Amino acid sequence: MTDVTQESRQQHNGRVETSHHPKTDPQRGDKDYYGIPPIKKAHWTWQIPIYFWIGGIAAGVQLFTTLANVLGHKDQALTRIGRYTALVTMILSPILLIWDLGRPERFYNMMRIWKLRSPMSNQSWALVVYGNLSGLIAARQAAEDGLLGGNPLSRAMIKLVPARLLGILALPVALFVGSNTGTLLSATSVPIWARNWALMGPTFLASGVSTALSYLSLVLNLGRWGEKRTHHVLRRAERLTILVETALIAASLVRMGRWGKPLFSKKIAPLFVGGTLLTGIAAPFALLFGKETRGKSILASVLALLGGLAFRFAVVHSGRESADDPEAYFTFASKENAPEPEDSI
Amino acid sequence: MATGFLTDTTVCIGCKACEVACKQWNQIPADGYELTGDSYDNTKQLSGTTWRHVAFIENPKKRRLTGDVDLVALAEDVREQLPGGAELDALGRWSFMSDVCKHCVEAPCQQSCPTGAIIRNEFDNVYIQPDVCNGCGYCVPACPYGVITQVPDDGRAFKCTLCYDRQRDGMEPACAKACPTNSIMFGEVEELERVAEERVATLHARGYTQAFIYGTPEVGGTGGIGGNHSKFILLDDPETYNLASHPFMPQAKVKGALVTSAIAAGVLGAVVALAFRD
Repeated sequence: MTDVTQESRQQHNGRVETSHHPKTDPQRGDKDYYGIPPIKKAHWTWQIPIYFWIGGIAAGVQLFTTLANVLGHKDQALTRIGRYTALVTMILSPILLIWDLGRPERFYNMMRIWKLRSPMSNQSWALVVYGNLSGLIAARQAAEDGLLGGNPLSRAMIKLVPARLLGILALPVALFVGSNTGTLLSATSVPIWARNWALMGPTFLASGVSTALSYLSLVLNLGRWGEKRTHHVLRRAERLTILVETALIAASLVRMGRWGKPLFSKKIAPLFVGGTLLTGIAAPFALLFGKETRGKSILASVLALLGGLAFRFAVVHSGRESADDPEAYFTFASKENAPEPEDSI
Repeated sequence: MATGFLTDTTVCIGCKACEVACKQWNQIPADGYELTGDSYDNTKQLSGTTWRHVAFIENPKKRRLTGDVDLVALAEDVREQLPGGAELDALGRWSFMSDVCKHCVEAPCQQSCPTGAIIRNEFDNVYIQPDVCNGCGYCVPACPYGVITQVPDDGRAFKCTLCYDRQRDGMEPACAKACPTNSIMFGEVEELERVAEERVATLHARGYTQAFIYGTPEVGGTGGIGGNHSKFILLDDPETYNLASHPFMPQAKVKGALVTSAIAAGVLGAVVALAFRD
């Protein structure tokens, strides 16, 4: 009997010390297989959260301008900004997405197949459809605004492009783009995203509409454009949308349960609690009450837009922490908790 | 005809010949020389540049070493009462497991792939076509076993091809060929399933009642994945080997998410429309 063995026995509950699997070495703080993540996180860099933010704005802008159109609220400035914004978002989105590819020169391979079960495939096609529709609509707007000169082409454009009809047709596609940014994350093995599959799309869409209303309000205020009623409606709609968004985020946190912890980690809590909940939701909501002034509106819009951006970064980064946590994945992918295809929720 | 692997961890000796043979045959780039201190495991995990990975688990039994220990008896696994009141119950067991792509029956990576680069080839193996993959990286978080990663210098995603080129020429994959103890078996999936069941029955008869097959629709190939074409015979909880006990098909909920998103779109539309009422 050596002293060394005796010592290690006493320290380790009667077990002999060996090197150093967490199951047998009580001095190891990590768990399972040396704390090495059992699944891999996505490589996506900053382009992806920014795209999610822009895609949400596109969806919300399309929703508001189309509804204004259908409900007979005619505001030339609003229509013009809505149409040009749609085009700009649909130019920026593919640039950001292609930038993030490992082989950007092969982006067109997304177009060789359409898979209904791959949210990434659906997203690519939705961007193609919405991008083309918004391009047509914006071209007609540009012709109307005289930006294309007085040539026959621009006259034909005004005559032939049914912008209102196309706008209505584009609405479901735009809403799909906005919500699918969330669904895309949920269709992975990452616990924090997969757990919340039912509410990821709705929450991203609600946040997208909220940022879009703020964006429209901000641009109209900065340019001193738009009718008074447009500003009123935007303000009312933003108040209501923030309520829907708050309810969805709260429900998401309940649904995520223990797997939602990364949102409150040291690194992400400033983005989520400070950026999203306080800056992006609570502060603008408070500013949207009381006397309506231009300065207050601008401030509320800026805060809501920044909050929406912080929300995208928080969700994407929390997915990384979740994927890197063996305990989170193993408890989620276990008999009691793993989602089954036949489960309704 | 579907081909696959059966990796019998009970006869693996941790020689890493499979890792080396795989790297060499498939000309996979090096990962650098990192010493982890995690037993003898310095490659850590499967990745785009490690398609076979041997896990090392030092798993001692509970030993009570008291009195005058006879080291020869200890090494020879003597269980009877020893002189001087020494008690022991044999040497610790050292578990090794050569991990590899599971080649799922319904593969989450294949379902996620937006370019159609990930296909099932004529051997029913899950195969990434390197000339199609554009490196979107969506298969990486989709895989429930952490098999695929994007290779940074290359940009594309890679994983075990089950030596598609060798199979085309009627040869077995490099890892199975190199394995000196036949821990890695290659063959038709049905045949391997039969072998696995026989082996587990033998192990049970010999007292290793904890032995089980990982990669069936009940364990390891669960949640809509429908089982795996590469199966494993394990002697411990799957988590010990860094495997989930009940993985799931992440795409199973895409349709449900579309429905909830459509409802949310309707509600948000109604809310915004409400704001237009004076």
